[in-house]
Amino acid sequence: MAEKEVVILGVGMTKFGRVTGRNPMEMAREAGLMALKDAGVDYKDIQIGFCAHCNQPIGTGTDCFAELGMTGIPVTNVELACASQSRGVMLATDMIAAGVYDMAMVIGIEKMPRGMVPILGEQSDLPYPFLMGLMPMPGAYAMMAQRHMHLYGTKREHFAKAAEKAHRNGSLNPNATYRDVYTLEQVLNSRVIADPITLYMCSANADGATATVICSKKKAKKYTTKPVLLAGWAGGTPIYERGGSMLAEGPTEKLGKKVYEMSGLGPKDVNVAQVHDAFSPGEIFTVEELGFCGKGEGGTFVWEGNTEIKGKIPINTDGGLVSCGHPIGATGGRMIAELSWQLRGLAGERQVKNPKVALLHNQGLGGTNVMMFKM
Amino acid sequence: MATGEGKKRVPIKPGLFRVPTDGGKGYLIGSRCKKCGDCFYPKRAVCANCYSQEMEEVTLGTRGKIFTYTIARTSYPMTPLVAPFITAQVELPEKVQVLSLITGIDFDAVKIGADVELYFWKVREDEEGNEVMAFAFKPVGT
Repeated sequence: MAEKEVVILGVGMTKFGRVTGRNPMEMAREAGLMALKDAGVDYKDIQIGFCAHCNQPIGTGTDCFAELGMTGIPVTNVELACASQSRGVMLATDMIAAGVYDMAMVIGIEKMPRGMVPILGEQSDLPYPFLMGLMPMPGAYAMMAQRHMHLYGTKREHFAKAAEKAHRNGSLNPNATYRDVYTLEQVLNSRVIADPITLYMCSANADGATATVICSKKKAKKYTTKPVLLAGWAGGTPIYERGGSMLAEGPTEKLGKKVYEMSGLGPKDVNVAQVHDAFSPGEIFTVEELGFCGKGEGGTFVWEGNTEIKGKIPINTDGGLVSCGHPIGATGGRMIAELSWQLRGLAGERQVKNPKVALLHNQGLGGTNVMMFKM
Repeated sequence: MATGEGKKRVPIKPGLFRVPTDGGKGYLIGSRCKKCGDCFYPKRAVCANCYSQEMEEVTLGTRGKIFTYTIARTSYPMTPLVAPFITAQVELPEKVQVLSLITGIDFDAVKIGADVELYFWKVREDEEGNEVMAFAFKPVGT
């Protein structure tokens, strides 16, 4: 069984920032070198590469890895919107678990274009909501939030609390784009984007790169005595349901159950987590879907401070998407880096007390990934 | 375009809906699976429930209920809608949901479960002088 076990051997990330003017290759190289150093491996030990990105040109993957060396390994570009990097890591993990490779690397890179992203193609090819400007994002989160408020009595303040916590945690994270702290009132009174979502509840696109070195547990023994083990992983896309709203980006609850079963661990065993907070209501929905609290209880669960760094289940200890900013293809790598640092006691001011088990939830317009890590 | 008739109306996106003509109603056009009966909007070529490819085009019910909504406060460039406006998932009798503009309700009076009905509105005229139409829902009976 040891040959099938997979570990996260090293992580790296650049500081995230808005319109930094940094060259994407330079960012990829910085993150890649950091991850190699963290893992204690040489680039020539990497047998396969994946490059996660959404807005970068054709050939970006090969160019990024070439910054580190030109060893001829197979490199594949992975795009799953905001969940690209975690999907790349899952693909590498599947291959290592299957015994095809021993060591892989995933680089996530995004340099956001200046100004508006132009809509390409013939106008009539666009779906009706895009043609009309009916605002699919953050409209979908806003609509799910409205429904949550209607069904369960969740309040705007509950969503604002998740945002206030995100910004406060981000102020402790030197890699975050947005490090200002806001009061609950300031979050609630910031410009409304789509009711009930206000500006300070939104993540904004950012530039940045992340990297992850993944290794078989057997080979990892050479480099570390305390590996971060991948205890479970599952990914998916939206599932058809007659009469369903199809607003969700993926089957989070189902994937969570699959990961709990695979790892033999349950929600109560999780000591620290990262959930996808493209918009703060995401945290409220996801704590329910991952079983940290009951259905409909997400609002009060977050409001009562359960997801604070010192809380029952610390979530997004680095500030999440809202504070760190969102280099789309690279965000999954930031989540993995933060969880790896937490498990290894390297999270500094953000350190949770003695975590042993960590859960990741990363999703986008395209799919959802859930991963469980344990020391 | 015959003399004496009104201007021709065209949908802003072909195939999604049948625009109302003089004396005729307009409808959203979806698909119905001949095998299992599930309906879809927009149209599907393959049933998402049973994978059959025996799909027929159907006109969907014009009355629905608001399943959920938000008030959009930002406009997208090069689109006809100007914020703020209500956007909602409307649940139709065939058990499909459609994302739509909602008009005729005050922003603080929108209710999940409200009964709304389909109507069509002119977005602009095209180069040939046709009326380019879009759809929306408004409270029943208004």
